[in-house]
Amino acid sequence: MHNCRDTKEQITEFVLDGADRRPDEVLLAELRACVECRAEFNTLSATLRVTTRLRDTTAPSEAYWNGYHERLRHKLVNANAESTQSSSPSLRPLWLARFFKATVPVPAPVAAALIIACAVLISIAIRAARRQPSPQTPSIVHVPVTTPVVQEKEKIVTRVVYRDRVSPARTSKRVVDPSRVESTFAKSQKPQNAEIPATLLGFKPTEEVKLTIIKGGSQNEK
Amino acid sequence: MTVTDSDSELIRRAQADDIDAFCLLAERYARRIHLLAFHYCRNAHDAEDLSQDVWLKAYQAMRSFRSDSSFYTWLRRITINAFLNHRRSSLFRRNGQTTPVQLVEIDSETFEMPLESRSTSPENIYNKLLFENVVEALGELTPQQRLAFLLRHYEGMSYDEIANAMNCSTGTVKKGVSRAIVKLRAKLSPDSDTQESLTSLASEY
Repeated sequence: MHNCRDTKEQITEFVLDGADRRPDEVLLAELRACVECRAEFNTLSATLRVTTRLRDTTAPSEAYWNGYHERLRHKLVNANAESTQSSSPSLRPLWLARFFKATVPVPAPVAAALIIACAVLISIAIRAARRQPSPQTPSIVHVPVTTPVVQEKEKIVTRVVYRDRVSPARTSKRVVDPSRVESTFAKSQKPQNAEIPATLLGFKPTEEVKLTIIKGGSQNEK
Repeated sequence: MTVTDSDSELIRRAQADDIDAFCLLAERYARRIHLLAFHYCRNAHDAEDLSQDVWLKAYQAMRSFRSDSSFYTWLRRITINAFLNHRRSSLFRRNGQTTPVQLVEIDSETFEMPLESRSTSPENIYNKLLFENVVEALGELTPQQRLAFLLRHYEGMSYDEIANAMNCSTGTVKKGVSRAIVKLRAKLSPDSDTQESLTSLASEY
């Protein structure tokens, strides 16, 4: 069964292969039988023959090639000189250069597993480093501190108190309870020696009283 | 130094920092690399810079060549990486112009034909017009699609090899190549008259 589409694909491959390939009998039979395929073959072979002929005719002349090879030699010499300057063999041995340029084919699953393992190890290491506090060496800092010293000063206040020996009679006009007056009067008329203990007999109070007040005592004292 | 020196002998000496040996290696493969660079950049000056950048990178990485593959296969891998990095750096240099369409517009303006094709014969003029159409068609592709097409069409690499080298899917490569072919067909055969003339022109060579 002839199929023009399949035949055209065969024609294309046949024409592209050019002289390297001989047409098989099947293709020749189909070209003889189908007019369209034969026209396709003629057009395609003509087109590619033109490009092949142009490929040959557009080659540069011999004079061009002489200059071409001179320029190429000049570039090669320059490149050789640059490579010699850039990499000294004594400083960078060949085996070391090969070591750094070497590639090792690794299956994709193994490579993926290695990458994942490295990532996990790195994350674990980072976490461990964060948890463990870094041992810091204690630094001794000398700071002069002045401790306040509380010094209680003894304040001596001298107060002169004048006392009347006989208290003057009250001249107030307020209403006084007679019973109370009587008792007060009776008290005042009592002999003084009656209330004085025997040990204080003969004691004569001085006219001046020296009071020493220590600050921080009761609040009433000033 | 003789012409019959094998690649392995030149490689061994180049790995020992022998610039002469490396330049001989470059002379053997420079045209293929330059051709790819020219169709990728669509500009003669950029193509020379890019192809020489490939050789500089190859010289610096010469010690890493282990002879597991052929020298050209190893060199082509460096070329593809350099092309893709060149695309990124050129996009970076052109501030604000980060879309492939804008990059194409700039490159189309600075398009130049190689020295050999600057004669005024009718054939060369026609070739130049054709080449401009090819460049324009390639310019409408993204750099990745363009590179996929060049590697498939000029280098004969398989889709799997291209996808492995460009670090993309095989479907992306197929799509890029298919898109390149569509663009080229549209540019080189816009109508039936041109198609006939192109077909006859192609059959002459």
